[in-house]
Amino acid sequence: MAVIKVPKPAQGSFNKNRPVSALLRNQILHMHEVERMFPPSRHSGIYINEIKTEGEAAAYIQKVTARLHPEGAKPVRFDIAAAGEARAKSRSKPKKKKS
Amino acid sequence: MPPGLDSLKHIVVLMMENRSFDHMLGALKAQNPLIDGLTGNESNLDTTGATIKVQPLAEFQSQLDPDPDHHFPAVDLQIFNGDNSNPRVASMQGFVKSYFNQQHDVPHSAKILYYFPPEKLPVLSTLATEFAVFNGWFASIPGPTVCNRAFAHYGTSFGQVSMNIFYVLEPYKSIYERMISASPAHTAKIYYYDQASSTIEVVNLLQHQPQLFATYDQFLADCKAGTLPDYSFVEPNYSDHDGDNGEELASDQHPDHNVQAGEIFIASVYNAIKENPALWASTALLIVYDEHGGIYDHVPPPACMPDGFVAQPNDTGTGRAFAFDRLGVRVPAILVSPWVPRGTVVSGRTFEHASIPATVTKFFIGDYDQRSPREKNADTFLDLLSLPTMRTDGPEFQTD
Repeated sequence: MAVIKVPKPAQGSFNKNRPVSALLRNQILHMHEVERMFPPSRHSGIYINEIKTEGEAAAYIQKVTARLHPEGAKPVRFDIAAAGEARAKSRSKPKKKKS
Repeated sequence: MPPGLDSLKHIVVLMMENRSFDHMLGALKAQNPLIDGLTGNESNLDTTGATIKVQPLAEFQSQLDPDPDHHFPAVDLQIFNGDNSNPRVASMQGFVKSYFNQQHDVPHSAKILYYFPPEKLPVLSTLATEFAVFNGWFASIPGPTVCNRAFAHYGTSFGQVSMNIFYVLEPYKSIYERMISASPAHTAKIYYYDQASSTIEVVNLLQHQPQLFATYDQFLADCKAGTLPDYSFVEPNYSDHDGDNGEELASDQHPDHNVQAGEIFIASVYNAIKENPALWASTALLIVYDEHGGIYDHVPPPACMPDGFVAQPNDTGTGRAFAFDRLGVRVPAILVSPWVPRGTVVSGRTFEHASIPATVTKFFIGDYDQRSPREKNADTFLDLLSLPTMRTDGPEFQTD
């Protein structure tokens, strides 16, 4: 089958100043709910009612997620041992599984 | 057992945002009449009483602005058109009226009926025609994102019909918790795009079980290394934001985000799996949308098994209680695997997001009783991997 070229979005599609949607607003509220459980020293220092744009929302969400899941900021893990094990498994006969 | 199931080791679910089946795939009916899409004669009345037909005029961006209302009362209007009789008829005649209510702009309200011609969505259209497209995959609730995504994670929304934070109630565990606590233990991960996009599943999972999460870059690395978990749930980028590598364009396709960016993201997930031959042979990829986003679809959502919860009139905002006994509006859903016959159209069956944990549980864990009534009753989809030999003709997407 021929390779299908996937068109890129038009220049100017990016708009971090777009007002936050209801989805992002709720994600902020959920993040805030979590942040309230942190000790004050670990708060983001961002007042969520002042978040108006997607870029601002992303900055806040990044700060809280970084505290919850710092692994998300680390370089990508390429687990050599696990990869070797996976290759070994793929060479062995597949196990029967329930369907 | 069919060879495809015998080979299956990984299930990957990519859940996109807020587009209806007809909006994205309805035009494919012209290519294949078995696909329950659009004839071109479907219509709604606008608020002046004029008949507004569906048209293939959907644009990638800047058309569905403001974001069409898809909270419970608006979806109720879209489906029932204000019918308060008993029993009510799901006519799908209230979409234009609902969109009009947001701006009181009659010409703009007609855009809620616009749909994409297949050539504008080469990734989604190609995957739908090359693999299996579902004629009857519905959102779990006629409501917004959070409660619908909950069905994909838990098989229930614990009685919620809104975007409010919900709290997990015993005895129902998320599919991820079931997997890692099974005996023998299985592996499962939610891959979010990056920290600035994060996950919609914040309170109930990320707060308690960060080990279940990883970034999309890690997904790509895991595909390459052959270290993908047994079950993976992939979340797109939910916002335009600055990233380490420059501008990150939202790829969730939520209006008013760019639909082409979502096409590239879908292709990237597909390519990551396909480019590892061993992974491609042993993986089933489901691409599905969480809900319709207020956009028109012509198929009335069917009644379904009640979920054991009741949302009260104050919660639904319609003046009526809701027993979780009707599904939400139909959404695009495509199953990709080299073991799926080319051009499969799944008809005469009803799926919803509870079909996801139902399928994953059935395949990896087997008997598992502590599930919601909706999940126990949900159809599963791995029987579609029915070919006796693996296909070698999958499409290739170039995204650079």
